Amino acid sequence: MPDARMAADVHNKGVFWEVKNGNLAPSDRLRQDRSDSPTPGLVEGTEPGAGQEGAMFVHAQSFEDLTAVSESNTDDNSAEVGDSNLESAQEAALEGGEEESLEAEQEEVGKEEVQSRKKAKEEDVTSETWRSHRKHVFVLSEAGKPIYTRYGTEEALSSIMGVMMLLMSIVEDKKNIIRSIHADGYRVVFLRKSPLILVGVFQTNCSDRELTRELQYIYYQIVSLLTLTQLNHVFQHRQSYDLRRLLAGSEHLTDNLLRLLDRDPGLLLSAVMCLPLASSARDMVSSSLQAAKAKNLVFSILLAGNRLVTLVRKKDQFLHHMDLHLLFNLVGSSSSFRAGEGWTPICLPKFNPAGFFHAHISYLEPASDLCLILVSTDREDFFNLSDCKKRFLERLRRRNAYQSLQEALNMPSYPVSQVGIPELRHFVYKSKSSGLYTSPDLPAPYQGEEELERLMGLYQQLHSCLHNPTRLLRYIYRCADTENLYALVTSGFELYLCFSPLGTKSLAVSAVNKLLKWIRKEEDRLFILSPLTY
Amino acid sequence: MRDIVSAARLEKNIESKTSSLFVSAMSIKKATLMDNGVQNGTSRNMLERCASVNEYFDVAFKVMLLGDSAVGKTCVLVRFKDGAFLGGNFIATVGIDFRNKVVTVDNMKVKLQIWDTAGQERFRSVTHAYYRDAQALLLLYDITRKASFDNIRAWLTEIYEYAQKDVVIMLLGNKSDMAAERVITHEEGEKLAKQYGVPFMETSAKTGVNVELAFQAIARELKHRNLQQPHEPKFKIHDYIDSQKQKSSCCRV
Repeated sequence: MPDARMAADVHNKGVFWEVKNGNLAPSDRLRQDRSDSPTPGLVEGTEPGAGQEGAMFVHAQSFEDLTAVSESNTDDNSAEVGDSNLESAQEAALEGGEEESLEAEQEEVGKEEVQSRKKAKEEDVTSETWRSHRKHVFVLSEAGKPIYTRYGTEEALSSIMGVMMLLMSIVEDKKNIIRSIHADGYRVVFLRKSPLILVGVFQTNCSDRELTRELQYIYYQIVSLLTLTQLNHVFQHRQSYDLRRLLAGSEHLTDNLLRLLDRDPGLLLSAVMCLPLASSARDMVSSSLQAAKAKNLVFSILLAGNRLVTLVRKKDQFLHHMDLHLLFNLVGSSSSFRAGEGWTPICLPKFNPAGFFHAHISYLEPASDLCLILVSTDREDFFNLSDCKKRFLERLRRRNAYQSLQEALNMPSYPVSQVGIPELRHFVYKSKSSGLYTSPDLPAPYQGEEELERLMGLYQQLHSCLHNPTRLLRYIYRCADTENLYALVTSGFELYLCFSPLGTKSLAVSAVNKLLKWIRKEEDRLFILSPLTY
Repeated sequence: MRDIVSAARLEKNIESKTSSLFVSAMSIKKATLMDNGVQNGTSRNMLERCASVNEYFDVAFKVMLLGDSAVGKTCVLVRFKDGAFLGGNFIATVGIDFRNKVVTVDNMKVKLQIWDTAGQERFRSVTHAYYRDAQALLLLYDITRKASFDNIRAWLTEIYEYAQKDVVIMLLGNKSDMAAERVITHEEGEKLAKQYGVPFMETSAKTGVNVELAFQAIARELKHRNLQQPHEPKFKIHDYIDSQKQKSSCCRV
């Protein structure tokens, strides 16, 4: 791949950075993560939903970021990926004579952009309603400057953020790290990701790890807009920089991501849900997408709402769920792709936090839910990718696959009753090796927003019990007032079940086998079993 | 009914055959690029069905909308393209957004390929990369926000740095319906435009005032530039705007 390069578009002049190892990804990571698996039985690679020809995602573990947290926290340099490529990219970014232009633009563009931001979330930060929000998230710079708040305005909160900064530095002064404060039903969780500091104030009984994981997502959201290189560069250049200028207009992305974190089990499980689709139809779509390739194209992703229809990738390149969720979030929170064709730089931070990809984003039809994302390494690739899309559509129509796609879209996913297990209300099943999960339509009791979030909260608690590092569990059964829950994890899959309060433990245990059989029977509809590469 | 085109910038097209769909400055003529034309035709039919905007056209031009964030670039475009106003919450454009609209100029179908850009600073580098393809630039400011007007000079500096030399520039003061909040007078706008020798008008995406005119004027200017008949008088965009603007302003008052 001689032309596999990524543009680290750091500000104006676009600093190009030739990747040393001829690979798009930072070197050391991908392969090892994907290696070792099977032993006989229901283990990784043989579970229902496991891909036949390997997975299309980087193999992600729950809390994988957090296992590295302690090191990176104590490490002052805290380069997110301890990788020489990254450092060289930073140097490259600094070399260019772009400091002046940065300075100049700062004066010109002024602070107006920040002020002009729609104050929809304007809210009195001294009021009771502001205090009563269940989940607050604050982002600040290491100089204590506010960057983001979920509720209220950053200006109004600068003193609170100052206190947060102070708390952190007092503890760090003693060569220690502050992770969280528990008080009065609140958890205040701190996460330092140099040059940013993220603080969450939650009214919840979830574990700190779950909450830190959510802060990680917010951090990566910001990196995906700017790249870590640019982020570091900006703050090295001026510590007191107001990052909101560079992030202007992206607040709704972070807001939406926080909503997704409360509702989408995919973010919890590091997995993606597929649109249920007959395998013949999916294969047709995938191969059409495969055929519509271009030189610098790395990923072609077809989405239906928040579900994946198919993903075709360059050989040897793997996407990380988190990056895909960030793409989902970008598409889901912007209406502008509906009418035209969008073209935007985007950093996929888990793939490579130092450079931008360039994404061509468009809906197949303005009124349809099908959205195509074509990710290229070349920032001048718009027309090539636009052409790819046209070829893809053409092929799709020639094979009459478009119709079946539309039909699958119009149908609800599937009701849990199809499984035929009495008292089972809902479940989430994740195949570890493919990184895909499946889940039925939400039944009546969980359709309201509040109820959905409550159910997801329950799953989240089970998730943190199962993955507690000091006490790993294989399964857990919990009786609550309004439902009984059962969760189990094997080396091949993770399963979360929700039963009516009438269910019993023995019923739950026997349900697992039945459900696995059912999923096995339906797996070619519910999962992507044969992912394609260009 | 295939439109026969030959690109003024041939090398470019040949060099990127895959992007044959996009033909920059075009003039009506015979098909020197036959296969190019064929591809163009089929793909265009495709687009017709999926975007329902693409009719037959004689000539195509690229237009770019520029200006600070939240001055109303997308709203102006949507008003022009769909005749609607995007009220409600401000949703920032992500990167660049590409749309087409065909307008009629003197019985000729002119397809405008319009780049709607994000005003935010972090997208500057992407927009720069596409400046040079544009034949016309609509530069917008918000008459209720002084900073957006003050930044116009900076925008023009950028334009001179990155865009083609003969690019058609038009300055638009948007949100003219918001009389109560106005901070930039019509005269100030006009004065600035005169300094740089670019046509100027005030628009309102909300009421639609002058939006159609702005794009029409651009389309006419570009069409006349490219297809000037020897006997035809030179098209004067300033005069055209003045004559048309007059009409709309007397309707308004």
